[in-house]
Amino acid sequence: MAEQAQTTVQQPAATGGMTLRRRNAILGWLLVAPVVLTLVVLVVYPFFYAIWISFTDQMVGSEAKFVGLENYAYLFHQPVFWTTVWNTVILVVAVQALKLVFGLGISLLLNQPLRGRWMWRGMVLLPWAMPAFVAYITWKLLYAPIAGAFNMILLDLGAQNYVDFLGTKELAMPSVIVATFWRGFPFWVISFLAALQTIPNELYEAAAIDGASAWNRFWHITLPGLRHVILLVLLLSTIWTANSFENVWLLTQGGPSDATMTFPVLAYYSLQNLRLGEAASVSVAMLPIFAILAFIVIKLMQED
Amino acid sequence: MLTRPSRAQRILNYTLVALLGVFILFPVYYMAIISLKTPRAIYREPSLLPDGATLQNYAQLFGEMDFLTNFRNSLLVATVATVISVFIAVLAAYSLVRLKYRFRNAVGRLILLTYLTPAALLFIALSVIMARIGLTNTLQGLMFVYLTFATPLSTWLLMGFFRGIPPDLEEQAMVDGATRLQSLWLVLIPLSAPGIVAVTVLTFTSAWNELLYALILITSPDLRTVPLALNYFITGDVFRWGLIMAGAVAAAVPVMVLYYLAQRFMVQGLATGGVKG
Amino acid sequence: MNQSHTRFAHPIILAAIVALLALALAACAQAPAAPAQQPAQQAQATAAPAAKQAEAPTAAPKAAQPTSAPAAAQPTAASASAGGASGALPKLQGDKFVYWGGLIFSDKANKMFEDRVKEWGKQRNIPVEVVMVNQNETVQKVSAAIQAGNAPDAFDLGRDFMLQLNAQNQLVPLDDLYKKIGDAHGGWLDPVTKATDPKTFNGKIPGIPFGVGGNVLFRRTDALKAAGFDKAPDTWEELSKEAAAAQKPPKTFGMGFALSNVGDGNLTTQMMQAWGGRVADDTGKKCTIDSPETRAFLKWITDAYAQNLFPPGVTTWDGAGDNNAYQSGQALFIANTGSVSIWMQQNDKELLDATKYSVLPAGPKMRISTQNPQYRGIWANSKNKELAKDLMEFLADDKFMADYYANAIYGPVLKSEQSASIFQTSEVHKGLADLAVNGTAPAYPDVDNAAFAEYQNNFLTPKMVQKIVVDKKGIDDAIKETQTACQTIYDKYNK
Repeated sequence: MAEQAQTTVQQPAATGGMTLRRRNAILGWLLVAPVVLTLVVLVVYPFFYAIWISFTDQMVGSEAKFVGLENYAYLFHQPVFWTTVWNTVILVVAVQALKLVFGLGISLLLNQPLRGRWMWRGMVLLPWAMPAFVAYITWKLLYAPIAGAFNMILLDLGAQNYVDFLGTKELAMPSVIVATFWRGFPFWVISFLAALQTIPNELYEAAAIDGASAWNRFWHITLPGLRHVILLVLLLSTIWTANSFENVWLLTQGGPSDATMTFPVLAYYSLQNLRLGEAASVSVAMLPIFAILAFIVIKLMQED
Repeated sequence: MLTRPSRAQRILNYTLVALLGVFILFPVYYMAIISLKTPRAIYREPSLLPDGATLQNYAQLFGEMDFLTNFRNSLLVATVATVISVFIAVLAAYSLVRLKYRFRNAVGRLILLTYLTPAALLFIALSVIMARIGLTNTLQGLMFVYLTFATPLSTWLLMGFFRGIPPDLEEQAMVDGATRLQSLWLVLIPLSAPGIVAVTVLTFTSAWNELLYALILITSPDLRTVPLALNYFITGDVFRWGLIMAGAVAAAVPVMVLYYLAQRFMVQGLATGGVKG
Repeated sequence: MNQSHTRFAHPIILAAIVALLALALAACAQAPAAPAQQPAQQAQATAAPAAKQAEAPTAAPKAAQPTSAPAAAQPTAASASAGGASGALPKLQGDKFVYWGGLIFSDKANKMFEDRVKEWGKQRNIPVEVVMVNQNETVQKVSAAIQAGNAPDAFDLGRDFMLQLNAQNQLVPLDDLYKKIGDAHGGWLDPVTKATDPKTFNGKIPGIPFGVGGNVLFRRTDALKAAGFDKAPDTWEELSKEAAAAQKPPKTFGMGFALSNVGDGNLTTQMMQAWGGRVADDTGKKCTIDSPETRAFLKWITDAYAQNLFPPGVTTWDGAGDNNAYQSGQALFIANTGSVSIWMQQNDKELLDATKYSVLPAGPKMRISTQNPQYRGIWANSKNKELAKDLMEFLADDKFMADYYANAIYGPVLKSEQSASIFQTSEVHKGLADLAVNGTAPAYPDVDNAAFAEYQNNFLTPKMVQKIVVDKKGIDDAIKETQTACQTIYDKYNK
């Protein structure tokens, strides 16, 4: 082929010391540069800026003065901080556990030969398709004692008084968890459904011939086949849940009595007082949890 | 899964699907009927049925409240942010998956880590940056800022897709005389098209629904995006439930259409490798 | 695969990148133009004739004049504050004058304000941008804008926020303007003068008041009359007794007062003070939550909660909680700034007719009904300080304010404004006018300082109540924990 010959002529491996390797490296950097530049400007710089601010007494409009660990000391000494750590962990773990169990179940269900399967799959995406804050104020209205759907149903069924879903210590966190789950599970289902398509049918056939039970097939074929996607989705979803502000803010403002106080909401309160340094320290204090998590997931994924 | 399910199994399946439908659709149904009620009816005659349904809220939304402008803004911002981020993410993902160079893994990890940073931590610095380059209160500024979350997610997911596609075909193309980039355009991208569609849809959805940055960066009423406009219907201490719900229903339409069109691609696309990593 | 393709593979990528940048640039160039084509869109087509009239002129002056602004900078802004006559106004710096108004729940009032500022711009031949910012987000938006260095020239702000911003020297002192406007309108109302005392603001007057907000007690006369109560309750204890006698749960609940972490929840601080409790001592440095008076207050409010006098959900109500409860007909008493009344006028005449208004009840020690004046401030780094001052004078016009008050939910601030007809005719506005004259000063009897503002912003009083009714802690523990949390905040200012 003439073209090919010419190409090789034009790109001799040794011209000017430009090895193929070297050219690939340059091309590699060139291609990744737009993303790296964007992220350095838009994320990395603001990130370090925020870390710096967390070591200062910066208030809105004032000169920042370095105060070392003062903001952190103040934060750690507040009883609400440890409540916040605990609540954030509970919220994240509970929501992820629900999403995992129901996400698996629902995706297996929707993988069955059902009439109108596409319709069902489309329906699952609905909660994900609306702005988060709309989803959460809708849930606020569902939970509301006054004009709230759940209470209307309960009263119709003969309840004597309202159930205060968001205003009591016992129910507030579970209520926030359910709403957060509702909004977030479609992403899990769609990802799991996708991964299920990649598991070869022959595996199931072979297992069926061997007389494996449904549970065995699930445990030894389906679950390992989904291992990677589970880790990936778990990581992304954990980030989303831990950072989500609207769910708690719109439903309970962190109340009652801090029963649902999470990091983003706590940072928001500091901001209300124009204390940028304190607000930044709250957000930074949450990072180690993330870092550990990301580390574990990346390790697990690399094992594959 | 492969054998025809028994009758009992089928009954169980449909029961479960119906339950799932109730769980998902009940809140949506409640939104829809609220959007059809007058403010007085919402409070004084609460009911689970659309009694006295009226289109008054929708009329007000698209008339007086000029919701179409918000629609246009959201569409513009989400589309441009998605196109740019998917485009540069394709290049970056290709580079990170197929080319070998120093610090490649470090760059890959950096991209993931940037995705971990909470928006609440970034927004003050971002508003400073936007002000310096004169993009506060502009849709361009918002497009730019949306790259903070759109780019890492797209890159990261695309890396998964590309990895799932064996390099043999591209190598074959290169043996046949294509350059690397040609092999990307002509071989890899067509092969991973479903994956790219899936990423596009996910990115578009997150940009379409974003509120925090819009709240901080956009001031002018004629530049408000859909979530921001809806947020303004909570006026001081009054929730204009009818308007909010009507807006939410209307805002879900483009996303649902998009999902409907992309549906086949979504499942197929995520399946071709993205989730296999 | 032909040869030219092979050769230009790299250039194609480059071209694509260039094209992309061009696209982005094109978007940059295009998008600002697009919205400008529809300037009148926000003009709300409410049936109100007033709005209709105003629509035409607002559309005109948007075609931004090219900024050939001569560098003739204004004469040192701070010192020349006396010059207000429109003839001697300095030229506009920058391409437009920006004002952020506070959005309230009255489309008419918002529109009137917007039009008035635009009218000023037209008269002075200055392009203005006036944006109504949701009050729920004012603090975040203004904070981010100040940090970014592009805050508006002037903006509406609540008194707490003014106190905080002034402490950071972000507001222009307006002492002369304050005096000038006062003199031109028969003087400021006494409580307004007190609330604007320079002693509270590091010796300055950092803002011009334009309305007194605060709570009026709403009551459902139909339900209360049926239980034999004709008059407004004079004390909180009377109120809780009436509530207990008249309520019929789960249909109606007596006391629609928020106990949650929102501004409305801080009504409990006023109640605590009415019982004689105090947040801090007279030096404004040492917290004094732990007192027999606080205990008595907590006993009363938690007993009321235990008797189910509060509607369910009050411990996590948002700002709309009392509105929702009253509008649904389920609360017999609420304390509200007036938005409920506007809502009822628009949507529920029947409920409006069953509603009467009165001043907040008294506690065993005194009556606390805190005034919450709203201000207009000028950003310290505005390049148009003199123009902003001129605008504020322009806005303080009796005729305009009378019309504005008729649609808004504020009491008057100037003596000349008291005669506005709305304050004689509308029941809820009478209540607000009364609050403006007879209400108690912000924070009173506590010392009004930044520490108190932060105590309130952290909702420590409603949280103290939550500790008892939600966490089921004892009154002593709740007081002890709150005292500690309070002192931690005050100590930040004691350094």
